[in-house]
Amino acid sequence: MLTPRQNLLECIRGGHPDRYVNMFEAFSPMIPGNPLLDPTLNEEGFMIDEWGATFRTIEGQPGFFPVHEPGRIVCTDITEWKDQVTPPGDVSDPALWEAAAAAAAQVDRSEKFVCCALIPGVFERLHHLHEITETLADLYEEPEAIHELIEVIVDWELRLAEAICTYVKPDAIFHHDDWGTQISTFMAPEMFEEFLLEPYKRIYGYYKDHGVELIIHHSDSFGETLVPYMIEMGIDIWQGALRATNDIPALIDRYGDRIAIMGGIESQVIDKPDWTEEEARREVEAAFDAIPRTTGFIPCLTSGADTGGYPGIYEYVTQLIDERSERDFAQ
Amino acid sequence: MTIIEDISSAVMRGKKKEVKPLVQQALDEGIAAEVILNEGLVPPMGIIGDKFSAGEAFVPEMLVAARAMAAGTEVLKPHLAEEGAEPVGKAVIGTVKGDMHDIGKNLVRMMIESKGFEVADLGVDVAPEQFVTFLQEHEDTDIVCCSALLTTTMPAIKATIDAIEAAGLRDQVKVMVGGAPVTQAFADEVGADAYTADAGAAAVRAVELVRG
Repeated sequence: MLTPRQNLLECIRGGHPDRYVNMFEAFSPMIPGNPLLDPTLNEEGFMIDEWGATFRTIEGQPGFFPVHEPGRIVCTDITEWKDQVTPPGDVSDPALWEAAAAAAAQVDRSEKFVCCALIPGVFERLHHLHEITETLADLYEEPEAIHELIEVIVDWELRLAEAICTYVKPDAIFHHDDWGTQISTFMAPEMFEEFLLEPYKRIYGYYKDHGVELIIHHSDSFGETLVPYMIEMGIDIWQGALRATNDIPALIDRYGDRIAIMGGIESQVIDKPDWTEEEARREVEAAFDAIPRTTGFIPCLTSGADTGGYPGIYEYVTQLIDERSERDFAQ
Repeated sequence: MTIIEDISSAVMRGKKKEVKPLVQQALDEGIAAEVILNEGLVPPMGIIGDKFSAGEAFVPEMLVAARAMAAGTEVLKPHLAEEGAEPVGKAVIGTVKGDMHDIGKNLVRMMIESKGFEVADLGVDVAPEQFVTFLQEHEDTDIVCCSALLTTTMPAIKATIDAIEAAGLRDQVKVMVGGAPVTQAFADEVGADAYTADAGAAAVRAVELVRG
């Protein structure tokens, strides 16, 4: 029996996996890749990130949501970003990385990939700072200023990357950046190329040049029109691909020798407070039936975490994938 | 090209800085404000909306076109008032309680405004009672638009409609619902008057609703 790490490599490289890669099983528990991010809520109930952006939680929903009320927007005028945006400070102090390095040291790398998680990415950072509607409009109205602010964000990403590769030495990077809605990309592919391709080539190129074997990029959205750019950036696995709007089998058939697709089991359908085993089984079976591929495909909930949003769902989907492996790999 | 065509072209390309002087020029040439609005500013928004529905335009194109149109409308406002032009209708919009996703809501607002509606935007995470309070304070509201992007917040659409019903206001407004997980079947189930799949279609439907 292959180790989870070996099995994943067989799967994504067109080899001979001996079972489905079961969601995030081949990765270590996610090691936080940003030691300056403190998720503690302040007295007002907000989380303020290391750039000064404001987030809040919503009762009954997992995760943080950006807040852009008046007075809580870091960059109100993109042409004034130099006066309004202050990048985070130094991250090269080894003391900042002791916990992450210790977590990495606990992992048997023959079994699993040591994986660092980075949330958010370049585009999300941009609209956390500047609000998404303004950001999307300014792609047209103030493109030079947008390019400039992206450069500052990329510089931050590269500073993090240098420290991560120096102190944690991960085998894999799990990087979030949602690039679309459930039915469309946030921008035309040509615009995506203009603003985000080169920045990500530099970021992911750095990791690849410094010992990182796998780049897993999360975008739980429509995104099939961006796959050629994902490949060019150096993404090995696109995690979060929605089955409802992306033709995953066609993507695997066309691009499977260069990128693997991880997702297909729709979190928005079954990761909810009142999920039932019947619904979960129906969704998982529907995913496998719609995506009959044993290589180039990693069945996974589409949300970007190695846990579920609500108790028990991740574990139950894990069980269902194992059951399907027993059937589909029986010979 | 005529000045009206120039205005339409500038809106299509999202050039708000071009639209303002062109609209002023059209006014100076003696073209009625309502003609500039209905023949110059509104039609390109319909075209952009159709392209968005067809996957040929994206959110940024919609946004900059809507902003360009708004820039032109701003120039026209005092003249429209002089001409006695009335809004097509009045709407209130918001994402339902627990839902923070506002891009789609903003697009719908802009597209409905482009059809001549006066729209009050209550923002995101709007509780049912906030919709009710607004309707009580604005009895001439024609349409309530509410959206949810998450399956977990879809029940709040029903809660909103139920609250409007309980407050005795259901007969005086039409309710439109939307958001990625929302379907016509869901809209029927919760008793909404209309569901559309995207912002362009929402604007068309809103006009149909007020015109009966």
